[in-house]
Amino acid sequence: MGFHHLDQYAAVESGLGHLAPAARVLGTVLIAVAAASLPPGAWLEMGAVAALVVALSRYAHVPLATFLLRATVPLAFLALASLGVLLLAPGATVARLGPVVITDGGIERLGAALLRGGAAIGAGVLLVSTTRFADLVEALRELRLPAAVTAALGLAYRFLYLLLDELAQVQRAAASRNAGAGRVPRRQLLLGVTASAATRSFARSERVHRAMLARGYTGSLPSLRPQPLDATSWRALLPLALLLAALVVSARVRS
Amino acid sequence: MTASLELRAVSFAYPGGEPVLRAISFTVAPGERVALLGPNGAGKSTLLQHLNGLLLPTAGQLFVGGVPVVEANLRSVRQRIGFVFQDPDDQLFLPTLLEDVAFAPLNAGEPRAQARARAHAALAAVGIDRHADRAAHHLSGGEKRLAALATVLVSRPQVLVLDEPTGDLDARARLRIVRLLQERPETLLVATHDLEVAGAVCTRALALADGSVAYDGPLDRLRADRDRLGRLGLLAAL
Ligand SMILES: Nc1ncnc2c1ncn2[C@@H]1O[C@H](COP(=O)(O)OP(=O)(O)OP(=O)(O)O)[C@@H](O)[C@H]1O
Ligand SMILES: [Mg+2]
Repeated sequence: MGFHHLDQYAAVESGLGHLAPAARVLGTVLIAVAAASLPPGAWLEMGAVAALVVALSRYAHVPLATFLLRATVPLAFLALASLGVLLLAPGATVARLGPVVITDGGIERLGAALLRGGAAIGAGVLLVSTTRFADLVEALRELRLPAAVTAALGLAYRFLYLLLDELAQVQRAAASRNAGAGRVPRRQLLLGVTASAATRSFARSERVHRAMLARGYTGSLPSLRPQPLDATSWRALLPLALLLAALVVSARVRS
Repeated sequence: MTASLELRAVSFAYPGGEPVLRAISFTVAPGERVALLGPNGAGKSTLLQHLNGLLLPTAGQLFVGGVPVVEANLRSVRQRIGFVFQDPDDQLFLPTLLEDVAFAPLNAGEPRAQARARAHAALAAVGIDRHADRAAHHLSGGEKRLAALATVLVSRPQVLVLDEPTGDLDARARLRIVRLLQERPETLLVATHDLEVAGAVCTRALALADGSVAYDGPLDRLRADRDRLGRLGLLAAL
């Protein structure tokens, strides 16, 4: 039993591979922050940031289809969440759909939200497409996130798969006894499956803890391969930061 | 010579439960290869977990290489005992195999480069170094068992304690584990239901029944005595 398809990320041989994972995380954060600080109406700069993300993903050899596929779901969420802006922002009326009034301000805000959010999502997709989970955790450690957080993340990765396994097993057991076909309400069934999977997961974490103790665990997960931000990484981050800063400044000055 | 393992009248009950172990005593000499036999629920896993202090006895004493298994000695006891759990998924909890295998040496304070090199060597010793950078959920059941074995071999323990090392493995994976165990020089204590595996790997048998040692002697003699195997719940003719 496996959920391998969830873990197909980061399989691409990446042109960004020589950068320390921490640099890739920082770059992603820079792009997201820059995109978020562009004022509405700065279409040129938003387009530039989006183009930058696309260019980087080409450079990193992330196949376009893969890139779009991975970005689709978060983008759809973003679009849904941004719909409110379309309907609520004040401005001159452009169109009327029954009781709903669409304003030019609304359209502008929606466009801005989509472009800015899209750029940030694209950068995130690029990050997970070029960086293995283990390296991501290592990067966060390198960036001085609290040890408790990175340790929890590292363990969570394996636990997620074990949890999915447990859940699938319980579900199969329930389904093979024709659960849901009889009079037991589905809600009650779901509750049962969840409770049972939770119990099993709890027992599992107890056993894992024992296995850790057996191998001398003392409360900290020591890192095997620190990947510090080296000169190459700084040299790559610097122009990126300058470019993004220039875009933000130019947009702010113009507006 | 100091015994590898020594149990003196070890008794244990889970909180609020019936006694699972009743005054168990035996010694295992260095280099001995012992099969721990008994039907489901006989207390094999419970007994094994006493050997590295994951459970502490309610009465009696244990010694590992002459060192008493008590709270204050757990660190050194756990370095001597390599414990392979019944479910390898419990033992592989980090994002990659290499990290899992390097876990014990790093905990012991070894420098990173050395821990890394030893982890690779241990993975190579069980024949799966090519998977070093993969996550455990990308491995087959047999490979997971081998990986779990590597996570303890890396610490060069004096005693290998294995709980059902061939549980739900197919014939080839089972053979692979057996071949590996046959080559190991360490003192071995292997809990198993599988008399064939026991016979291939071990020379002495300890059988548990009702929380006590019901047989302690040559494995061959036990395997030849079908009546006795039946009474011990180790053989049920179909
Ligand atoms: N954590 C626990 N809490 C309470 N009782 C337990 C616990 N673990 C095991 N037991 C009980 O202790 C007894 C011995 O269990 P143990 O797991 O040691 O048997 P075993 O010989 O390893 O069996 P198996 O061959 O199925 O692995 C069983 O009756 C079991 O129900
Ligand atoms: Mg057991």
